[in-house]
Amino acid sequence: MAFFNRFESYIDKNIGRRRFGYIVLGLIILFFLWFPNDTSQSNYAKTVFISGFFYAIMSSSWALLAGIAGQFSFGHMAFMGIGAYVAGLIARDGIIFATLGIAISPESISAIGSIIIGTLIAGLVGLVIGWLLLRLRSAYLALFTIAFSELFRIMMLTEYDYTGGSNGLSLRPLLQITDVDAARQVEYYLMFALLIVCLLVMYWVANSPVGLFLRAMREDEDAASALGVNVVRYKILVFVFTSMIVGLAGAIFYSDVGSERIIPEQLEVLQMSLIIAYAVIGGMESLIGAAAGAFISRYLLEATREVVIALPLGLTLPDGSGAFVWETGAWRYALFGVIMVFTLRYMRNGLLYPIITWFSGRDLAMKETVSKRKSDDEYAELPEAEHE
Amino acid sequence: MNRKTLFVYLGTLLAMIALIPVGMVQADGHCEFADEAITIGALVPLSAPGSVEGGIAMQWAIEHAASGINADCGIQINGGNYRLEIVVGDSEGSPERGQAAVERLILEDNVDAVVGVYHSAVGLATMTMLDDNGIPTVFSEPWNDNVSANGIIEYEGKPPRIEDGIDHIFRISPASSMVGPVVVNWLLSLGVENVVLIAENTDYGQPAAADETARLEAAGVNVEKLDVELGTEDFVPILSRIQASPETPDAVRLLVTGETSLNLTQQMAELGIAPTGDTICVTNQYAFNSDTYWGTVPDGNYCAFNRVGIIPSLFNDLGTELNAAFEEAWGKLVPSYAMASYDAVHIIANAMEQAGSYSDAATIVAAIEATDLELSQGRYYFDYGSHNPDLPEGTPAFMWHQWPDPIVTVMQYFEQDQSALNAAVVYPEVYQTHGSSYIVPGTSP
Repeated sequence: MAFFNRFESYIDKNIGRRRFGYIVLGLIILFFLWFPNDTSQSNYAKTVFISGFFYAIMSSSWALLAGIAGQFSFGHMAFMGIGAYVAGLIARDGIIFATLGIAISPESISAIGSIIIGTLIAGLVGLVIGWLLLRLRSAYLALFTIAFSELFRIMMLTEYDYTGGSNGLSLRPLLQITDVDAARQVEYYLMFALLIVCLLVMYWVANSPVGLFLRAMREDEDAASALGVNVVRYKILVFVFTSMIVGLAGAIFYSDVGSERIIPEQLEVLQMSLIIAYAVIGGMESLIGAAAGAFISRYLLEATREVVIALPLGLTLPDGSGAFVWETGAWRYALFGVIMVFTLRYMRNGLLYPIITWFSGRDLAMKETVSKRKSDDEYAELPEAEHE
Repeated sequence: MNRKTLFVYLGTLLAMIALIPVGMVQADGHCEFADEAITIGALVPLSAPGSVEGGIAMQWAIEHAASGINADCGIQINGGNYRLEIVVGDSEGSPERGQAAVERLILEDNVDAVVGVYHSAVGLATMTMLDDNGIPTVFSEPWNDNVSANGIIEYEGKPPRIEDGIDHIFRISPASSMVGPVVVNWLLSLGVENVVLIAENTDYGQPAAADETARLEAAGVNVEKLDVELGTEDFVPILSRIQASPETPDAVRLLVTGETSLNLTQQMAELGIAPTGDTICVTNQYAFNSDTYWGTVPDGNYCAFNRVGIIPSLFNDLGTELNAAFEEAWGKLVPSYAMASYDAVHIIANAMEQAGSYSDAATIVAAIEATDLELSQGRYYFDYGSHNPDLPEGTPAFMWHQWPDPIVTVMQYFEQDQSALNAAVVYPEVYQTHGSSYIVPGTSP
């Protein structure tokens, strides 16, 4: 502890915490840029990272929607699915609006074109859902988005003639690189770049006046409205914005960048709850915390697929091996659940929140987002240092 | 606790730790194994959204096969005994996670072959990766036709999966198109004229209903199709429509899976719709799990159901042994996908022995193509592959690298609380166990 105090005062005096935070962030980015060039790493490790980047986009965008704007939606995976399914269907079947006399053949649409259309459609659906949600709050909003999400999943399952049902829909590959190693390298950088761009754009929004209005909306919608915040506009805006981000991420990820096909089971509420869990563990009100929480969680879930416990003293098992090997299966998710319970009970702003707060040098999260709002009397009784 | 007692405890504990490993090593002492081991990857679903129950049964069967092979001194290649190690990859029933698991098996665990796969979506998503990396693979449960149809043949307008070289993917589970016609052919053999199909609203129920409707109507049978949602508890409204129909159907065929099929069967029996003297009841293969069936469908005597995989009365010695071991471990009859997974390991092991190599994928694939082996589900062989690449006209494309003989039968209970082991096989005729193609309710075969 004494060492940490000395370290803290050294940083405060000589560099400044925020600047030190930027240095650490820069080093982390450099690590991710260098990682694919580490020849000791197999393509599998890169695959895990690619998956981590994808879920980081999903969780951080959900943190913007729920943690910053206060719209507790369960429809995030559905919007991701809309982006991916639309991109896949358009690349396969083209666009036909018979009544308008529009017919575009699939050959004339590139993979990038299909991804852009998928993203736009996700945004368009976000617009409609955002408009429908205008009058809904808290539990009703969550219930509505669960219903929407399930409706979309069941549609993808039952319209199997078009979507492939539970066998899934194979999207047109975005990259046409025959060399597997080179392809994985490009896929890695593509997904990492997408994460960085998404985070930058989301931070720009969160730190702009729009972000301030979103926070005001989260704290008290009626009060924000009374103070002149156009709640209708910003509610719709945040739904459209986050829907487009996850639609884009889904369309790219399932275009053989992270996975070769999307299945309806990927849109289940269970998968959505994982996105929420990643964000809660990382920190719901911090975009980078949610992204880091998702990345670390995905990495750990992958790393704990198999737990190997080496036997001491040269002892061996009947099969001659010197270690117990435990295929964890679903148990690693159970462990993950325990971490989630611990986080919600003891570190409501996320496991990474203290680190991020330390680097930023200020308290970033509003306490009432994840815990009971304090009354004015209770607030007044708090020591001065705890006043926000 | 005094000091003496403490020493006794500690001494006993140390003695146990010291003795157990010695015993373990001696138990395996009759075989002289080579230094390196052969590694087979088992790709099975062990977490949601995959079918965990299926994945666990497959994992058990694969590990059971490996321990049996190791007890017989492993895989014998060029005079050496190679221990077989199984590395499990959890596909989670998701193509994305399945691909990651396969990549891990290939690149981190350096597996020499892969067996398993429960979900077709995972099989379809991982085939190219397995092929590109030259991993001989025997799938034991995915049914989608394209798993084997699209190897080196253009199928349904899609280009072949591999343009040249060898195809490493084999399948010993049936293709969907091999399962569909059996119940229809049975009903037609009984001379039915009016059939009600009740289908779940999924990509299993709806295509199956469309396929069976087409087959029945082509034979001049009048078909009425009703749709239900999975998870529904109360089917009385929909069953009332059958009761209100002016004509009593000759058969009610359920294309509904899981517990829902059992609830529906019981309500159908309770309402006196089927099974009756006039109406045949054909429920889902889930009925094969007799304990669960009778627990939920006490009025379901004389219902028929299709069974994919070998039937208990046809179990050979190996099948009987495997079933006994499975029953001991899990308390129920061994499912077909566990038997297929067990056999898949033996097919790979045998091919490696025949090829004289565990790393030369081309010779192992050639040896799998030349397989002629009696295992728990019967005799395994592959009619079409690079050894016989020209499929005769009329032979479906999915017969490529496909075991042609997965058994699909129609079975029927004829006694209350009967075990599936004793249920009658009524179709096809070649497998009939009680000399009858249908047991009329109220009679005995």
